[in-house]
Amino acid sequence: MGTWRIAWRNVFRNPRRTGIVVTAVAVGVAGAVLTMATNYGMIFQMVENAIARDLGHVQVHAPGYADDPGIEHRLPDGGRAIAREIEADSRVRACAPRLRGEALVFSPRASSGASLVGVDPAREREVTRVADSLVEGEYLGAGRRFVLLGVPMAHRLSVGVGDKVVISVQDAAGDLTGEAFRVAGVYDTASRDFDGTTIFLPLATAQALYGVDGDVSELTIVARDRGEVEALRDALAARVGDAALVRSWDQTQPLLRYMVEMFDQMGWIVYAAVFVAMAFGIANVMLMAVHERIREIGILMAIGMPPRRLVGIITVESLVLTTLGLVLGLGLALWGVAALHDGIDLSRWAAGLSDFGVGARIVPVLRPDDLTVPAVAAAVTALLASLWPATRAARLRPAEAVRHT
Amino acid sequence: MPILEARDVTKTYQTRGVETPALRGVSLAIEAGEFSALAGPSGSGKTTLLNLFGALDVPTSGEVFLEGQPLGALSGSQLAALRLEKLGFVFQAYNLIPVLTARENVEFVMELQGVKPAERHARAESLLAEVGLGELGGKRPLEMSGGQQQRVAVARAIASGPRIVLADEPTANLDSKTAGQLLDLMHAMNREHGVTFLFSTHDARVIAKASRVVRLVDGRVAADERR
Repeated sequence: MGTWRIAWRNVFRNPRRTGIVVTAVAVGVAGAVLTMATNYGMIFQMVENAIARDLGHVQVHAPGYADDPGIEHRLPDGGRAIAREIEADSRVRACAPRLRGEALVFSPRASSGASLVGVDPAREREVTRVADSLVEGEYLGAGRRFVLLGVPMAHRLSVGVGDKVVISVQDAAGDLTGEAFRVAGVYDTASRDFDGTTIFLPLATAQALYGVDGDVSELTIVARDRGEVEALRDALAARVGDAALVRSWDQTQPLLRYMVEMFDQMGWIVYAAVFVAMAFGIANVMLMAVHERIREIGILMAIGMPPRRLVGIITVESLVLTTLGLVLGLGLALWGVAALHDGIDLSRWAAGLSDFGVGARIVPVLRPDDLTVPAVAAAVTALLASLWPATRAARLRPAEAVRHT
Repeated sequence: MPILEARDVTKTYQTRGVETPALRGVSLAIEAGEFSALAGPSGSGKTTLLNLFGALDVPTSGEVFLEGQPLGALSGSQLAALRLEKLGFVFQAYNLIPVLTARENVEFVMELQGVKPAERHARAESLLAEVGLGELGGKRPLEMSGGQQQRVAVARAIASGPRIVLADEPTANLDSKTAGQLLDLMHAMNREHGVTFLFSTHDARVIAKASRVVRLVDGRVAADERR
């Protein structure tokens, strides 16, 4: 009948109270973990959407592009030599060249500023999902004078598939130039900002429009393994040396990285709030348990139980209570995540979510930390929550405790 | 050397600034093999003196010795170890740990002493049989009568092989017949195994059976009668 057995039996002396505490802990843990999983699912979707929409895992630019992302910073040799280096790495799944520039786009009824992205249609399909995001019309094909617009841009210009738009740019020589295009298709990537500003057109057309003669602004790379992105980035950077700037998605879009970091910080706040509240609840229950058992504790002291063993029993009781709640809570959270594998329908807030590049359906995503952090936090909570009642028990005077009624 | 000795011991309780003297200079020695009773009316200081002898409380002045060792110099942990190894207790009621069975209650003190499981299990069975509860070892306290619980408490008190068993009104909550049986049991242990008992009581049956009766009045030893 060691400390664990006595503590275990003590926990079940008052099944109703134990049930209430365990349920409270379980609901707290499940709520916190599900909240974290849902939030992370949203952040995960936002990052993955950005990667799939535009960023890829790694991007290669000409030196100076990061400070001044304009048409004048282009990869030498059209990026072909660098592309060969990149494609020699077995960790690279696909690599696509792009030319980026600013433009004004006109329709018969409206005009708008826009970011032009010249793409190799076939290779672009391998690095982004724009081709899969079409809601109207067709993807870019062999035709040179076709463009893809996002839904907000199409609405703003009041154009649809087959309509004509005129794109005006300042070319590499500084001269204003422009051409007319037909809308081949309209896409929706769930990012209102991206879709409202970005126009895709064939790479060769863009190169001709900007007068850059086969040059490109960037190479976008997708890795075979998401976990190897940083290693791939470093390896590619080492290969290309000073000839180009190699950055991973979180470096090209630091805002995304900040949002992920901010989410992690908020996660700690959520967990802290839940577990601090939990600690007070458990401490309260343990204090009640100690108060109800003062006489019994006096007897234990009288027969020679050392104070540290008494502290051990109270601590283990607290640990058992918390662990039961934790296991139940994690079970509930796992069940909840499994039940929501099709995602949570947030279509009522779709417009707002699209501002963050997030779709209307959020699938909760559990990370290993979402299981280990509550487990560690629960253990710490149990220990902290038991300190007060355990110290109180150990400080009882035996003569007074055995007379307690 | 006496097992227990109090030298000019006083004990004063303070409650909300009011001082209540419970013992006013008691000197008393308990020898091995005695079956002694501290008798006296309520408030005479019986339980207070028993608690001081049992290292459950500390005197306001004076000193208590256990086998010549002054208790005042010991820490809380040392007093706990001393209670475990040298003292046994039987209280008026609710003596047992409710989440443990009768056998486990008896074994518990031996576990605290570090006795190996097989050995303590066998000794617990033997002691329960000796107090007439061999069949009830698997019962929890709430499944037993008050008399049976007190028998288990006696078995537990002697399980650790103490130098003396201190019993505070052990028969107070029992009916006459059960109280008599419990008293006979403890008396037999005293006679047959030489276990020393010191009671705090005002039960006439206990006083009648005691080999020595120390009468306390108003916190002082009024009489010390050896039979």
